[in-house]
Amino acid sequence: MFDRIEDLKLVRRCKRGEEAAFAELLGRYRNAIYGLCFRMTRRTEDARDLAQEVFIKVFSLLDRFDETYAFSSWIFRIATNHCIDHLRRNRMRFLSLDGFTGPDGEPMDLPLPDDGPGPDRLLERSEAMERLEEVVADLPPHYKVIILLRHDQDLSYEDIAVVLDLPLGTVKARIHRARAMIQQMLQARSYEI
Amino acid sequence: MKTGMQRPAPPECRQACDRLQDYLDQTLPKRESLAVFLHMRECGGCRAQLEMLQALYAKLGDLPPLEAPADFDARILAAVPYEAYRAMAPLRSPRVPILLVHESLPAWLRSRSVRLVGLVAATAALAAAASGAAAGTAAWTVAGVGCLPELSVRLQNLTRRVYVATVHRSIPR
Repeated sequence: MFDRIEDLKLVRRCKRGEEAAFAELLGRYRNAIYGLCFRMTRRTEDARDLAQEVFIKVFSLLDRFDETYAFSSWIFRIATNHCIDHLRRNRMRFLSLDGFTGPDGEPMDLPLPDDGPGPDRLLERSEAMERLEEVVADLPPHYKVIILLRHDQDLSYEDIAVVLDLPLGTVKARIHRARAMIQQMLQARSYEI
Repeated sequence: MKTGMQRPAPPECRQACDRLQDYLDQTLPKRESLAVFLHMRECGGCRAQLEMLQALYAKLGDLPPLEAPADFDARILAAVPYEAYRAMAPLRSPRVPILLVHESLPAWLRSRSVRLVGLVAATAALAAAASGAAAGTAAWTVAGVGCLPELSVRLQNLTRRVYVATVHRSIPR
């Protein structure tokens, strides 16, 4: 999916201070990193800020990039760590809406701004896909990120192990567990896919 | 009579279901993969489970691609300090022992012309020695001295590369 040799050439040009090479790297990874950040946070503003911070961090750390690794693994590692840190910092903002009660003890909806896709886009997407996105979004962060890396970014188990700095066996077990959780959540919500 | 308790799945079904994800990921050894395949042909319950997983895989792989906002690149490119980055290039180069720094060798020794002249002189001296036109010891001395600049530079480069590759390996988190 990502061309390791071409990436390495661009990184070397970046290290020499070539602006055009960084712009090209940005073009290659823009949507992948933004997509990962959006699906991790489900908030347009947060996703944009996080993805931009990832690219600026990448630029500032370029000299520490070890060329024996793929650039794609490195940038995904920075992005996943950044998103998980963000979710940890903002844990209070991601409380479940189920079972939230008002001051009088009556169930109520939290008045959170909806930064998700607008009604037109919702209509365009299939209902099943929306439900699946909702379930994936509700996974705990460590399971969510691994599912997104595997299925959305199409990374191999080996690449995910490098990105998350985990043993291959743990990656495999966590992906299996995440898929099982998705199935259980779909069933619990009576969603069909 | 219904007892309200589910009958435990036969061992072959449990075994096949435990391997379903590996089967779909195509990470099972051939023999085990074949065993799962054959079991799926015979067992409707496990086949239903397989079909559910297949549908889930397909949908997960079908999540619509997302595009970054229109002004995404401009904000980043404006925020990246290229000038400062270029100005700090000497500070960013990996730290190596002083003997491995280019400048530790005299500039005249590193210059291309000296290295080239040295190599030509060494070749000429060896050629003269081989044809008998020059004394062996003198020719070998000239050849040794002639090769010295090129060998010093190459040896330093090689040592530095090995040092950087072994000592400066890091992947930031």
